[in-house]
Amino acid sequence: METDLNTIHVFKTNIATVDPNCQLRKTLDDHQDIKQWSIDHEDVDCVLRVVSDVLQPETIIGMINDFGHECQELN
Amino acid sequence: MRVRDADKEKLVIEMAIDQIVRDGFQGFSMNKLAKACSISVGTLYIYYKDKDDLIQKIGAVTALQFFTSTVKNFSPKMSFEEGLWKQWENRAAFTMKYPKEVAFFEIIKHSPHSEIILDSIKEFADFRMIMKEFIDNGLRNKELVPMTFEAFWSVAYGPLYTLLNLHTEGKSMGGKPFKLTKEIMKEAFSRTIKALKP
Repeated sequence: METDLNTIHVFKTNIATVDPNCQLRKTLDDHQDIKQWSIDHEDVDCVLRVVSDVLQPETIIGMINDFGHECQELN
Repeated sequence: MRVRDADKEKLVIEMAIDQIVRDGFQGFSMNKLAKACSISVGTLYIYYKDKDDLIQKIGAVTALQFFTSTVKNFSPKMSFEEGLWKQWENRAAFTMKYPKEVAFFEIIKHSPHSEIILDSIKEFADFRMIMKEFIDNGLRNKELVPMTFEAFWSVAYGPLYTLLNLHTEGKSMGGKPFKLTKEIMKEAFSRTIKALKP
């Protein structure tokens, strides 16, 4: 089944790298409301893409900010 | 509320192929593509996770288009000569109609993306089965000399692709203008089939 486009959230960040064991990765991996996430490290905007039926963009921004990273929704 | 826009998706695929054929994978970026399509980079990321995901998804669409058109009106039960000629016609028609897609496919073929793409298309297995059945029938009916697969492929399709490359470039040796006609194709085919028959 195709992903509902309204459940995909896209953000510009300054997350240059995500170590395999870092807390940010663990939090996103283990989050029960996040179906899928990825960061395009090749892109200048280090675009974060999150698939979630429940989470609002503001919540995701808050989570990323808590890890000390900038995060801004891309429309 | 976001809804799928088929026209926009088509434009993205077309522009991505354009840019990759022109600049290669290295020179291609999500930002440049978004700009060329007059859409926000955010929209592009809604559809594709990253550059590799985009290349693989568009590669799969193109590959499927190619396989589907290659077996159009073709049956593995055809005599070897009739079937191979159908293959030549179908492959030539596709190359002439979609030269950019073919160039894109060539770039992909020599990249690490190709295996991922072929594995992602379930129809590819069917395509391989059809071609295998066709060759097996040819061998069983003694219409085809047993050969190493690569040797077979190079003789069966090499002449066609050489002619198609000249056609796409629009010129032959020494810069002489060239356009592939059915007659020239038949001429090459008649010699090819002679080489493959026992």
